[in-house]
Amino acid sequence: MFKARIKADVLREVITVVGTLVEEVKLNISSDGLSLRAVDPAHVAMVELVLKAGAFEELKATACEIGVDIDKFREMLKLARAGSVLRLSHDEDKNKLVVTIDNLTRRMSLVDTAGMSDPKVPNVNLPAKVRVKTEELNQGIRASESISDHIALIATADMFELSAEGETDSVSLKLPKDLLEALECKDTVKSLFSLDYFSNMVKSVGNAPSVTLNLGTDYPVRIEFDLAGGEGYVKYLLAPRIEND
Amino acid sequence: MGVDLSELVPKQPKLIRDFSGQTVAVDAYNTIYQFLAIIRQPDGSPLMDSRKRVTSHLSGLLYRNLNLLEAGIRPVYVFDGKPHELKKGTIEERAAIKEKAQAEYEAALAEGDLERARSKAQQTSRITKDMVEEAKRLLGLIGIPVVQAPMDGEGEAAFLVQRGHASAVASQDFDSLLFGSPVLVRNLTVTGRRKLPRKQVYINVEPERMELPAVLSALSLTREQLVEMCILMGTDFNEGIRGIGPKKAQKLMSEHGTLERVIAAKNYDIPQWQEVRRIFLEPAVEDPGPPAFGEPQVERIVDLLVGEHDFSKERVESPLRRLVEMRKEQKRQGSQLRLDKWF
Repeated sequence: MFKARIKADVLREVITVVGTLVEEVKLNISSDGLSLRAVDPAHVAMVELVLKAGAFEELKATACEIGVDIDKFREMLKLARAGSVLRLSHDEDKNKLVVTIDNLTRRMSLVDTAGMSDPKVPNVNLPAKVRVKTEELNQGIRASESISDHIALIATADMFELSAEGETDSVSLKLPKDLLEALECKDTVKSLFSLDYFSNMVKSVGNAPSVTLNLGTDYPVRIEFDLAGGEGYVKYLLAPRIEND
Repeated sequence: MGVDLSELVPKQPKLIRDFSGQTVAVDAYNTIYQFLAIIRQPDGSPLMDSRKRVTSHLSGLLYRNLNLLEAGIRPVYVFDGKPHELKKGTIEERAAIKEKAQAEYEAALAEGDLERARSKAQQTSRITKDMVEEAKRLLGLIGIPVVQAPMDGEGEAAFLVQRGHASAVASQDFDSLLFGSPVLVRNLTVTGRRKLPRKQVYINVEPERMELPAVLSALSLTREQLVEMCILMGTDFNEGIRGIGPKKAQKLMSEHGTLERVIAAKNYDIPQWQEVRRIFLEPAVEDPGPPAFGEPQVERIVDLLVGEHDFSKERVESPLRRLVEMRKEQKRQGSQLRLDKWF
């Protein structure tokens, strides 16, 4: 059983996050809220997302799984007015999700979850942790996008750096420890990432003022931020690029 | 052949490019058989050089692998080793089918029935020692690693995936799932267009990805039970019970839980089923270490295919040159790793 009311803005945050990696996802629903885990088709990145019961205006659910098509939610959310609240309910007999905004109802066919297993969470031990303002990160990404398709994320004991090398130009965003919200790093770490993936992930950060990056050397980065004003969280994991010899 | 589970297992349709960046463990014999069966003239005769040596497998191995490499996929070919004692029955049966097909092929040719001749000819495909040696030589020259399995190639391929050396097994057979491969991809190493048997109809064949955990949860079975279910239906290592297909076998397994109890309840006789079970659950495998990929050696491939086997120089050289250029570009750009490395 699943019946809920949720603000369009909150649902939009969830859909934006998931939609950066996959087009279909399995939602695990219970009375505690909603959670999901998905890996992108190229197996380069994954996302874990938890939305607690408190993020919903109302939630009545027993444990269940539903497979949804992200695009259908995007279409519905475009129709939502500012401040709209969506009603969601699972019609178990017809296996449809009934989504209502104001007086508009869409009965969504669901995706069969039989072929969708829950991805495992890779075991990564990331020695460095940086908490940086979302707007600083966005500025660095925007500057890099014009010159390169990948960036390096570097942390040392006293600063965090985002740098990009183009054919003729280079960009570097350096943030000393006092401009960071947190920095825990003993030895210098550096990994390269696809800017495409990284920028879409950071763009999907909704209203969270800061983002936590966990880093290693030639290791994946874990990107964590809050959802729905702290009533949920997102953890992305992005595999690095390596320089070929 | 192997067991046929196609009607029971959940499959995800995929495109070739979805596997970009992945290393796949290719069931070499299975793939070479496909090439020998499919790459034929309209009258059913295989491609041959001027000395009447079959070259269908070389053509398939070259062009298909170039396609995969261009898509950023890294194949590792796993060759069967010594067949298990219990596979002898299957091997003899296959030889008999080939002999019969050979006679029917010749008869159809004599009657001028080309369509029937072609379909019969496909069943006569045989892999000789020379073909295996040449296939390995060609793969090596393309820069594709070759792994020699101690026994069953699919068991070894499944092990490569479990060890993290590859992300999936590529085979048309389902056996690698029984051998414990977490992921199986079908239709990756065969061409995109295939003729339906006995019909003038072509279908597009797209890759299908299957995950063992999803297969098991769809069937509500454990891997041990899946293996036992297939033993009931018959595998390469045992004859199954007459009249038991996938659906009945699954039903029996979920009713009784173990093959031992199914056998007791139904009074079946499956000689050496414990040994067959062991072949799948504890396959003979060896760890060759992480696969080492090389660069294509264009001159030597041209020597082999054009010099020895009369391939067209233009048709061998130009796709190889394109691949070499692409590899240079990839090197310059660095490469994207996949998360699988950390699972």
